[in-house]
Amino acid sequence: MDPVPGVFEGGANVVAVLVLLAEFAMLRAQLLRTQVRLYAWQSLFVALLAVLVAADQGIPELYVLAALSVALKVVIVPLVVLRLLPDADTDIAGSGRFGVASAVLLAIGVAAFGLFVINSLHFAKSSLPTTALALAGAVVLVAFVLMIVRSDVVSQAIGFYSLENGVSLAGLVVAARLPLIVEVAFLFDLLVAVVVFGVLMKIHHSRTASLSTATLTRLRG
Amino acid sequence: MITLAPPVVNALQVLTIAAAAPGISGVISRVETRLQGRRGTRVLQPYYDLAKLFRKETLLPDTASWVFLAAPLAAFTCYLTVPLLIPVLTSYPLPLGYMGDILGGGFVLALGSFLVALAAADSGAPYAQMGSSRAKTFSAITEPTVLLVVFTVALITTTDLPYALARTVRSSADQIVRPAHVLAAAALFMVILAETSRIPVETHTGTNEFGMIDEARSLEHSGPAYALLKWGSAMKQLILYTILADVFLVPWGLASTGRATSVGLAILALLGKAVAIGCVVAVIDNSFAKLRLFKITEFVAAAFLLAVLAVFTLYLGGG
Repeated sequence: MDPVPGVFEGGANVVAVLVLLAEFAMLRAQLLRTQVRLYAWQSLFVALLAVLVAADQGIPELYVLAALSVALKVVIVPLVVLRLLPDADTDIAGSGRFGVASAVLLAIGVAAFGLFVINSLHFAKSSLPTTALALAGAVVLVAFVLMIVRSDVVSQAIGFYSLENGVSLAGLVVAARLPLIVEVAFLFDLLVAVVVFGVLMKIHHSRTASLSTATLTRLRG
Repeated sequence: MITLAPPVVNALQVLTIAAAAPGISGVISRVETRLQGRRGTRVLQPYYDLAKLFRKETLLPDTASWVFLAAPLAAFTCYLTVPLLIPVLTSYPLPLGYMGDILGGGFVLALGSFLVALAAADSGAPYAQMGSSRAKTFSAITEPTVLLVVFTVALITTTDLPYALARTVRSSADQIVRPAHVLAAAALFMVILAETSRIPVETHTGTNEFGMIDEARSLEHSGPAYALLKWGSAMKQLILYTILADVFLVPWGLASTGRATSVGLAILALLGKAVAIGCVVAVIDNSFAKLRLFKITEFVAAAFLLAVLAVFTLYLGGG
């Protein structure tokens, strides 16, 4: 048995697990608002991890990054998504291709694959326990599952945004000392994605009067 | 100073659980009604109910066989056995504590609820049979969850004795914040909500048979047999609370010697912990709606997910 991780590693792992659990919760969200809120919570957990790393490793830039990502991902993105779809039907229940329990079981299988594959990588030096990296890999894969099994535009957009959360979690573990300018550039990448997806969601909703992507199949001709 | 012999403490564990269980149910229902702004019943009401039922005559359905008669007694015996196996009052293992591990305790609990379901099926009444079939359907998912929680314990302590986990948790703060422990405890709590028929799985006080799961199983019983079933389900609840508190969440306040005062204090501590968990359960009861029947699988699947993640993080070495 491996040695017991210390309080810091244990706490960091718990927060990383919460990020993954938020991703799982998105699989069963029934309302537009719930989905967006889950994304905000997940981003908050990632920012919390950034603060933990900053405090532990003494990297002051990470505080700035955490503050920026809280402002962007916890406040602005949810507001923008909800503002873009003010008259949308709030109900996105039943957009799953399978039942929730089956989707969760499928996601558990995919997450297990990600966890164990990434855990077999070894890093000589990382700012967080490598378990957090494996969990980040699982977050990315479950985000893919979310985008595949749910056929509503909100879940697919939020799935994409939360995929970015998984990637930033991985970034925190592997490359916490990345220059601030690069990290901020990533955040602006996300901002571009938010604008593009936001416009797509808005147009889709105004054309089909629904959030479901089911009507898109007609485009196949 | 009187020092109690280990067999006496062992017997005290069973007596404490048996005697306090209806009282804990009474406290929970009292807290629940107070939270709803109602006056509610006395805390001691479950004892009066039991006393009344023991004085009543027993009526049997026409189709009932000996199984229907024997099951309440056998189930009650199961619930009397489990407190011998788990740390109720002492932090050190008692002579009969090694009779079975945490898995053994789980099996005895499951056997008890299986016997009750069997009696319900034997009664031939539609609602009782519906309850027993539903209860078994959902326990098909809660049992694997409990198994995974046990695996987590086994991976952490390299044994599956509940005393060993309680000792590990007491040993350092590292053990408490590790994700495997947090996730396993959360999964166990969700299973406990399902197994003790609380919101969001079942309305405890409801009289609508269509929403019933565990409660429906005893609809056909009457008199002393019904009293035993009610008492048994209260004991099952207190046993599960004890496992959650004394093995996972707060394994402090247990007696480390057989001295009468420390055992007495341990009894009080146990009651305090059970009441605290009961208050949390009462708050949950009042804050959430009952899930629709087909959504209950989602709830138990969530508990299963937590337990699976607990095992995963342990295997990754970071749990």
